[in-house]
Amino acid sequence: MSRLRLNNDTAFILVILAPILLLVAALIYYPAVDTFRTSLTSRNLRINRPPEFVGLENYQRLLADDEFWEVTRRSLSVVAITLPLELFVAFSLALLLNENFRGRGVVRSLVILPWMVPPVVNGFLWGWLLNGEYGALNGLLYQFGLIGEYQSWLREPQYQLVWVAVVQTWTRFAFPTIILLAGLQGIAPDLYDSAKVDGAGVFQRLIFITIPQLLPSIAIALVLEFIASFQIFDVIWTLTAGGSAGGAINPFTKTLMIFNYELVFRDLRIGLGAALSYLILLMSLGVGFFFVWRLYNQGVKE
Amino acid sequence: MTLQQRSTFRMIVIYLGCFLALFWALAPIYWVVVSSVSTRAELYARPYKVWFPSQPTLEHYVTIFTVGAEYRGGGYSPTAELMGLGLRNSFIISTFSAALVTIIATGAGYIYARMRFRGKQLTFYFLMLMMPLPVWVSIIALFFLMSQLELVDTLPGLISIFVTFLMPLSVWLMSTFIRDIPREVEDAALVDGCNRWQLLWNVIIPLARPGMIAVFLVALVSTWNNFLIPLIFTRTQASQPLTVVLTLFIGQYEVAWEDMSAAAVMTMLVPFLMALFFQRYLVRGLTLGAVKE
Repeated sequence: MSRLRLNNDTAFILVILAPILLLVAALIYYPAVDTFRTSLTSRNLRINRPPEFVGLENYQRLLADDEFWEVTRRSLSVVAITLPLELFVAFSLALLLNENFRGRGVVRSLVILPWMVPPVVNGFLWGWLLNGEYGALNGLLYQFGLIGEYQSWLREPQYQLVWVAVVQTWTRFAFPTIILLAGLQGIAPDLYDSAKVDGAGVFQRLIFITIPQLLPSIAIALVLEFIASFQIFDVIWTLTAGGSAGGAINPFTKTLMIFNYELVFRDLRIGLGAALSYLILLMSLGVGFFFVWRLYNQGVKE
Repeated sequence: MTLQQRSTFRMIVIYLGCFLALFWALAPIYWVVVSSVSTRAELYARPYKVWFPSQPTLEHYVTIFTVGAEYRGGGYSPTAELMGLGLRNSFIISTFSAALVTIIATGAGYIYARMRFRGKQLTFYFLMLMMPLPVWVSIIALFFLMSQLELVDTLPGLISIFVTFLMPLSVWLMSTFIRDIPREVEDAALVDGCNRWQLLWNVIIPLARPGMIAVFLVALVSTWNNFLIPLIFTRTQASQPLTVVLTLFIGQYEVAWEDMSAAAVMTMLVPFLMALFFQRYLVRGLTLGAVKE
């Protein structure tokens, strides 16, 4: 009897797990290895020549290329503007939603909505808001007398990345808000009570209790948002890249992912693009771990 | 400050904060919806914008589904078919992917939550290892693999990619949901001589329903919203979902904003409604179950 049961269980496990493991192996692991293998070759579909093994040449070529560093700098700029902005918005919102007031549930549900809108729509949406001729932002600012005439917000190359970061913040802020709100709700109320007895004001309580207690949540939010904004693609594609319909891609907001897409699927330099994809992976991993390690240690020590 | 004054002050700060938060979150959405139902004359009014359309109209929706986007010069771009097919493709890809992933992940989640077998740890790590890693490195070679299998630009191709990419997260979520179900119920059923399939069907699935709904909705919304994968793995309207179709509206020199707004509203409608009505499931699923309500 027990022997029969065992066999039945084995069949059950096999029937369910085998297809999953096969799919993951075939569509995630095998291609990941294959991409790495390709990154060691000179594969280029524009050139009618069989790819040759070139070792780490593609990596060396990227690391010696000014455009690679330029693109990396741009990606880091997006991260450097997005993360503080997002953290500020999310932290303020989490503090607000942690208060008790009527209508809190409704406000919470509505504030989360931008997160559910397809990012590719957000790029378009904000492009329309910031439009120089008919944009709603111009209309609003003009109506309140804040600008004398309509501005082309997206025209100046040096501001394009800032707007990309703003739209990325709008797209993603709900997620860190929820994480931080859950963190706030996990702080023991006695901590605040005893601080009040000791005469700590609102800001002292914020700095000496709330923020240290919240560090693990902040670490999680920062890592996930780092990965999201470092690999930003959709928002840029519709906001400033201008690459649809086969048109040229705007160089001023060409970040790592856009550059990588261009290398592989436009220029067909597969080997070089494959190498870049592994460099992106390494950079995301390195920085992600650093963030967790640094902030989590801090939270534990204090 | 008296206590009374302090409480009034607190409420003022809170509701001012709420106003700012709601304005920041909703104003852009409000504007695209208003744009999609405004007449062209009102939409392009300047310098004073028409914030509330005086004659709301659905003509732009009719336009994008019948003739295509209309440019200010008067010409049309032949996008009508794209919209209808895009809507169909989005529906098929996201519902099939979400349904498949939910069914399979429920079985796998049960296995990892409850059963013991050789290789359990190993296969679990094998599935989970890729979860925090960007799948971009896989996508490049996957494209050539899918071309060889002639699955590029087909709905089954896209569905199999989404099902696979969503699998680790879904299995992980289902196993945590099922672990929370009290064990006694199952033991009783096993003693009664149920086999695993009957147990899964009659006991686990009814009890794990909230978890399954969360996994289904997360899969549905992330598939619907995804852009990069269909951008790479589709070529023609036969398989392009709405997120890709939307980008085809942008002409090289001109954009028909009113038609584009209508298309944008169509693209965000489904995730938007899901977020309004099933938010607690979505939030629980998307935060890896970290936030329970």
